[in-house]
Amino acid sequence: MKSILQHQTFHDPWHCIFMRLCCVFLIVSSSRAVALEASLNDLKKMSIEDLLQVEVVSVSRTPEKLSNTASSVQVITQEDIRRSGVTSLPEALRLASNLQVAQKNAHDWGVSARGFNTELANKLLVMIDGRTVYTPLFSGVFWNAQDYLLADIDHIEVISGPGGTLWGANAVNGVINIITRHSRDTRDVYAEAGGGSGMRSFAGARVGGALNSNASFRVYAKYSDHDNSVLGNGNDANDAWRMKQGGFRVDVTHPFDRLTFQGDIYENSSDSDPGKASIKGSNVLTRWSHAFSEGSELNLQAYYDRTHLDRPLPAYVINNLTLAPAGVFADVMDTYDVDLQHRFRFMRRHQLVWGLGYRHTHDSATNIPALAFYPALFTHHLYSGFIQDAVSLSDRVTITAGTKLEHNTYTGWEWEPSVRAQWDVNTRNMLWSAISRAVRSPSRIDRDYSQPAAGLVVIKGSDTFVSEKVLAYEAGYRTQMNDRLVASTAIFYNNYQHLRSTSITPTTILPLYFENNLKGYTYGIELNGTFQIAEWWQMRAGYTFLSEHLSVEPGKFDLSQAHNETADPQHQVMLRSMLELPGRVQLDAGLRWVDELIVNNGPNLATVPDYTELDIRIGWRITESLELSLTGQNLLHNHHPEFGFPTPTRVDAERNVTGKLVWRL
Amino acid sequence: MAPIRVLLRYGLLLCFFACRTSHATADYQLEAVFLFNFTQFVEWPSSAFARDDSPLSICVLGEDPFGNYLDDIVRGENAGHHPLIVERHRNADTIGHCHILFFSQSEAESFRRVLQGIKSNNVLTVGGFQGFANNGGIIRFHIVDNKLRLRVNLNAAHDARLTISSKLLRQAELIGYGED
Repeated sequence: MKSILQHQTFHDPWHCIFMRLCCVFLIVSSSRAVALEASLNDLKKMSIEDLLQVEVVSVSRTPEKLSNTASSVQVITQEDIRRSGVTSLPEALRLASNLQVAQKNAHDWGVSARGFNTELANKLLVMIDGRTVYTPLFSGVFWNAQDYLLADIDHIEVISGPGGTLWGANAVNGVINIITRHSRDTRDVYAEAGGGSGMRSFAGARVGGALNSNASFRVYAKYSDHDNSVLGNGNDANDAWRMKQGGFRVDVTHPFDRLTFQGDIYENSSDSDPGKASIKGSNVLTRWSHAFSEGSELNLQAYYDRTHLDRPLPAYVINNLTLAPAGVFADVMDTYDVDLQHRFRFMRRHQLVWGLGYRHTHDSATNIPALAFYPALFTHHLYSGFIQDAVSLSDRVTITAGTKLEHNTYTGWEWEPSVRAQWDVNTRNMLWSAISRAVRSPSRIDRDYSQPAAGLVVIKGSDTFVSEKVLAYEAGYRTQMNDRLVASTAIFYNNYQHLRSTSITPTTILPLYFENNLKGYTYGIELNGTFQIAEWWQMRAGYTFLSEHLSVEPGKFDLSQAHNETADPQHQVMLRSMLELPGRVQLDAGLRWVDELIVNNGPNLATVPDYTELDIRIGWRITESLELSLTGQNLLHNHHPEFGFPTPTRVDAERNVTGKLVWRL
Repeated sequence: MAPIRVLLRYGLLLCFFACRTSHATADYQLEAVFLFNFTQFVEWPSSAFARDDSPLSICVLGEDPFGNYLDDIVRGENAGHHPLIVERHRNADTIGHCHILFFSQSEAESFRRVLQGIKSNNVLTVGGFQGFANNGGIIRFHIVDNKLRLRVNLNAAHDARLTISSKLLRQAELIGYGED
């Protein structure tokens, strides 16, 4: 074994990772089995008196409960996802009131926390089971390419506010962590199918089971076919899309070790006027965690992800002048990532966590005359390390301080420190406060972009583009007033520097360059409450207020006068009711009001009007294994805009109704 | 690719160490053994069973910490004439027939409500939360200095009409209501 590791040259990096993971797997599984069998029988034979003398290590207690963290966090549970009737991840994210979610067309969404939800929204870190899914092309997320069998999602953690110290670059305004269920909890057969006016048809299935007494698996597949949306004038938007996805997950659990191996493969295609666009991708991930003793745990994770984009673009025309012909832009992004994290207790009062990470991203763009990235082939290295210490000053007061240190190919070293204080007033009330610094390091669009590729270039990235930075001040209060009422609130003030601007050079007007000429501040409030009115009735309410003040640095220039990086509602209200009716019927409703957006992706400032919308789902469990549901979305209007400049081609979100049948065995 | 190699090699090394760590027992293993022992040291009223040979249900409510460990322990075992079975429940609607109800850590927010709903139903409630016995739970698991401790609420056991053997009680810390 040793000689293979030393002498084999790995030309194919994926092969390299896979070989080593196999080794880890074998070592972990073989050495434990014998000891385990013996201890089971030994323990069973022992007297109660002796059992109480056995040395135990607490591994099933979660080190930190999310509801107890000093940040603004909301959790979307599997139950929430199921009962809302949503059919995609971005729709599910509407359930977190601390996010702004806007549907741009049938297959694109803008999702953001604490503002900056523009066409190129880029200040959110999104992960699925620890795998980063925002694209290094522009630091945003292709939401139509992020999917899963929704019934197998365990929960989604939504953190508004910076998370750079633990998670690193891009966790500027928030972190979304989508976590799928352990395969131990999906050891059965599940199938769903349905259709309606928004989603013409869809189907999904999963088969799970036990491999042996401590290993379980599942495999799944799904497809969906989505109808066109409409334009503001009621015409067809020609943006229908289809997707298929499949994947697997295997988990091995030993008393002190957990090993996960999982992967997905997907393909989607979307209609658009210049032709069909597609995204294909696949990923594999493995995670091993080992508990040494109470509160001490080591995690090692590695993944590979490939995203292949084909996007037809129309000819690039400005003022009836054709600058570049139409073409199909293609891009293949390969990401290799390894992360190590170690958490342990130290001198009773300290809970230390430190980690190391490396991400290797290789991008291969097929440039076309209308759009190019230079260089077309680009390799990016991200090295990172972090350390954080939580010190318990008393039973009730904890101070957490730490920093991340990263080195990226574009800008070199970046640091992202934070200090958090938490005061548990009593078991039901908690106050917290934090100061953190986070960065958004440049993405390819900021540095390497060119539109069109040659000739009269209109807009370009610039080699001097640096990281955008935020210094965030936050405070919050969380209370469980009684068994029925849970509420939380957070206030924040964010100070931004070096935000992206579109500038001109001193000597020429064109091309325009991306520079860092904007600065500014935002502040706001997030309120959230859950009220269990009766065993059978739960109500939730959420409200966010956001005020944004960006300006151009004195003496600098921005083409859109600091209006191009934001398109956000100042107010947003969300209400949900979850009713348990007799005869195994569940009735759920969600009402949302979203304030007007000010948008600037056109020739001058314009708005998306404020809107109110209602979603209702009725579900009936016909038998233990069969459930029928009917979901209506956007019921109050035939169609309404949620995003974009009011051109004749702005796409609206439509009212839609979907029926679904679920079968479990 | 050099850093990947270094990290992975480091990971392998750690595993070699990790795989030789102490022979201590994980908390959930010991708790599973205790759940089995409870079936031997607790007596349910005969009305709690449909027939003399109907099964005794050990139910896990919420996220299951045991994996297959609990199943392995009770496989082929009986309590008197009652064969032991393990069930897992995602929510509290379906736990009516359980004889032992173990609350997993995921139920920290809801255990008080569930406990109130099942008072005096012949259910031996077991959990590891602070205040579990105080809130009407019957047996609380409690880890002190890396040893498992049992805390038993006698009043709650009495309300549930369960008889707990003195062999078990002798090793436990006994309380009534309001003393946890």
